[in-house]
Amino acid sequence: MKFSKKPGDYIFQGVFWLVFISTAIFMLMLIAGLFLFGEWATFFEVLKNPEFHFAITFTLWTTLLATVFSALVAIPCGYILSRYKFPGRIIIDTILDVPIVLPPLVSGVALLIFFGPLFGETLAKWGLDVVFSSRGVVIAQCFVAAPFAIKTFKHAFDSIDTRLEKVARTLGYTPYKVFLKVTIPLTKNGLLGGLTMTWARALGEFGATAMLAGVTRLKTETLSVAIFLNMSVGDTQFALVTAIIMLMISLTLLVTFKIFTGVEVRL
Amino acid sequence: MESLLKVHNLSIKAGSFSLNKICFSLKANDYIMILGPTGSGKTILLESIAGLRPLHSGEIFFNGRRITDLPPEQRHVGFAYQDSLLYPFLTVKENILFGARARGIAVEAKVLRRMSQLVEIMGISQLLERYPKFLSGGERQRVSLARAILTKPPLLLLDEPLSALDPGTRQSMQNLLRQIHTTESISIIHVTHDFSEAIQLGTEMIVLSNGSIEQSGAPLEVFFRPVSLSVAKFLQGENLIKGTLSTLNSLLWFKPEHSELLIGPLSEELTPPLVAGSNVMLMIRSSNLSLHQSWESPSGCISWPAEIEYLSFNRTHVDVHCKGYGCWETSISLAQWQNLRLFQGDTVLLAVRPENCHLIVC
Repeated sequence: MKFSKKPGDYIFQGVFWLVFISTAIFMLMLIAGLFLFGEWATFFEVLKNPEFHFAITFTLWTTLLATVFSALVAIPCGYILSRYKFPGRIIIDTILDVPIVLPPLVSGVALLIFFGPLFGETLAKWGLDVVFSSRGVVIAQCFVAAPFAIKTFKHAFDSIDTRLEKVARTLGYTPYKVFLKVTIPLTKNGLLGGLTMTWARALGEFGATAMLAGVTRLKTETLSVAIFLNMSVGDTQFALVTAIIMLMISLTLLVTFKIFTGVEVRL
Repeated sequence: MESLLKVHNLSIKAGSFSLNKICFSLKANDYIMILGPTGSGKTILLESIAGLRPLHSGEIFFNGRRITDLPPEQRHVGFAYQDSLLYPFLTVKENILFGARARGIAVEAKVLRRMSQLVEIMGISQLLERYPKFLSGGERQRVSLARAILTKPPLLLLDEPLSALDPGTRQSMQNLLRQIHTTESISIIHVTHDFSEAIQLGTEMIVLSNGSIEQSGAPLEVFFRPVSLSVAKFLQGENLIKGTLSTLNSLLWFKPEHSELLIGPLSEELTPPLVAGSNVMLMIRSSNLSLHQSWESPSGCISWPAEIEYLSFNRTHVDVHCKGYGCWETSISLAQWQNLRLFQGDTVLLAVRPENCHLIVC
């Protein structure tokens, strides 16, 4: 990285390095704290704990499901927002931003009302209980993660030169085939980045999940819920080990993605 | 001969810009150059012919068949943009065969044979396994052309294909385009803002300005006889002199602004039907001017004395900038200038044949 030597830039450079170093120290302290307060002997015991197994498996399949659903929704939504200009586009874009800026607890309350008093009975008649069920976990994760997917996918679609798609049309490809043969390969890295961020968002989701699906041990217990439950009953060792695992998963995920694709994910 | 392409009253709205009632036709083996300044609607017109933009009104016919509502994939029209736009995730070979793959013929022997011939003509046979990021600008543009004409479309649309290339590469690409046009029997519509390119390649020229056709015709005709001041300026018309028309002895003469002198008589055949008193611009291409150091006017020419203001030396010629009668400025390019011994302040005689005086209505 090269910085200009202009005197006016010194303030910006100073603030940049201050923020970067503070964040790095904060992260290191967090990781060091987790390792210092956790006991190595209990680390492997927790890894063998059935509750941990449940939490990690449950988290894995619910987040993967939420990511897949979010992606299925985000591909058409992101594409439409990127390619078409229509009246009310800004309003729709803003509404999609709401779950990102809304506190997850508020989202959870809204979801609870929607799937509880409003449509809960109807859904129950069809055998689709959502409140306090694993289905609720996936829905809460989707609700929070899908806007991330839509935003990142939209930016991925924005980033390509649409004339590449036009050329494909003149070469004989239908719009559907252009999407599969040109748009998807060209946006592959951006879409993968979006998926990674979506999965990371679903992985860290707690507030909305807790409100809609509850925090029931071995039923709706994601890794985040497991940390909360075990901290609240004083089992700090379990909570810390789980936190370390979550931190490692997130870091590995992001670092691997960035190294392999070299893409900076835009929200 | 029946038109291969006929564009009738085509209008398009794109935001605040619109193309208005464009009409022209193209015969088989025509090479039409569409010229115009940036933002005149050249690319929009090309994209609408390819079916990439919906029309507001108007019709397009291809081989006598109405294709106005036909999607681009069914029009079978080749298209190449300025910046080649190759698919970065495909090799050169895969890029060239991309269109054939859409039609399910990419593995057919005759298609592969055609590709081999094309890459030989284009001089890119050694690049087939490379990815676009490892190609130069000229190589990319050659691949783009090969991709566009692989399936032998009867019409090729080119959107400023040479403008991003260096002069040497541009010259070789011009030769290549001429070769493709003749050997492949492909009709071409080529958008450019470079009129020298248009004159070198085109059989027809259309000048667009603000979404409308300002002028169309044979390239040299448009170059020497622009119909409006905007076309003249866009085509870098030299020696534009403002004035009015006068009659003397029943003949038309040009009276420059701020001068009582008359230039003429003008050729009646070539002047537009104008009456005395009309405000006009006289345009004389510098290649039509001749410079003389004697005071004898060449036979059949209009001549006037002019003082050399300054000389600008170029590699192959000298531009002599003169002031005629102390009021209007003219410039003339001379290739054989060494023996003339011209100096600043010299008075010379400039002459032009009446038929080379072009009048533009103001």
